[in-house]
Amino acid sequence: MQTMKRSAVLRWSAVGLLFVTGLTDIYYGNFNAGFYENLWYAMGTIYIFTAAVIAANFEPRFAQPAVFGYAIFLFVLWATTAFATGVGLDTVAYLDKAIEALLVVNMALLIRSSRSPSLLR
Amino acid sequence: MAQSTTKQWSVGKLLLVVGIVAIVAGAAVGTSVGYAVRYAAPTTRSFYLFNNSLPFDQDVWGIPHDTFSPDRITVNKGDKVVIYYRNIEDTTEDHNFVMDPPYTFDAVVHAGQTENFPVASTLKGITVVVVHVNQTATITFTASWSGVFRYYCSFHPPTMTGYLVVLG
Repeated sequence: MQTMKRSAVLRWSAVGLLFVTGLTDIYYGNFNAGFYENLWYAMGTIYIFTAAVIAANFEPRFAQPAVFGYAIFLFVLWATTAFATGVGLDTVAYLDKAIEALLVVNMALLIRSSRSPSLLR
Repeated sequence: MAQSTTKQWSVGKLLLVVGIVAIVAGAAVGTSVGYAVRYAAPTTRSFYLFNNSLPFDQDVWGIPHDTFSPDRITVNKGDKVVIYYRNIEDTTEDHNFVMDPPYTFDAVVHAGQTENFPVASTLKGITVVVVHVNQTATITFTASWSGVFRYYCSFHPPTMTGYLVVLG
């Protein structure tokens, strides 16, 4: 029961973080990006879509690791692109990526919690 | 009842594999994007270069009133540079075009105001070309070294000086 409750909390915090990251990405594409705005729009839209998927708890065994991987992928993509071009190194981007890093940790805990033996029994 | 042969990964192993794949993919795509954004394919860049005279008495001020127009040429490393250098003096004054090492260039001097006039001389691998009044020299070279390099007229130092900026 305790594990189920913990899993639900982690799931909804993940939904919140996904939603906030998605909105921040879209905001950034609109006002700050300066280049590849469409990429930021796409990243944000995908985040908001995944927020809905995680909220609906649709295929969690696949969806949760996919979101975990997607968040890491985007973080590393931003880091390499930003340091190679000098673009995307500003407060909004740092904030966005800090939330994304939090999301990665949240997703890892959620995956661990969702696959807890007590839940699978 | 069929027995499942699928092995379940541990959470740690799953996170590790997904994490590593995501990091490698992100780094690969990010590096590619960074390279693609910065990469500019070498191209041919043409410039028209003229001698210019500033409106002051060079005997009073103690320096030549001659300058280059333009006095900055900016290209990317690897570009082929073509400079059409025209001596537009209204007196019978010669000018030349000298480049600092390591650059050398080829030049075709035409006996008239455009490249349609007969060729007066063809020079290869040189560092200086003299252009008489009402002549045009077509100067070509490849910007193989990045940095800032001086070009100047040795008849009118130090004012008749420009800089080739090669972005590398």
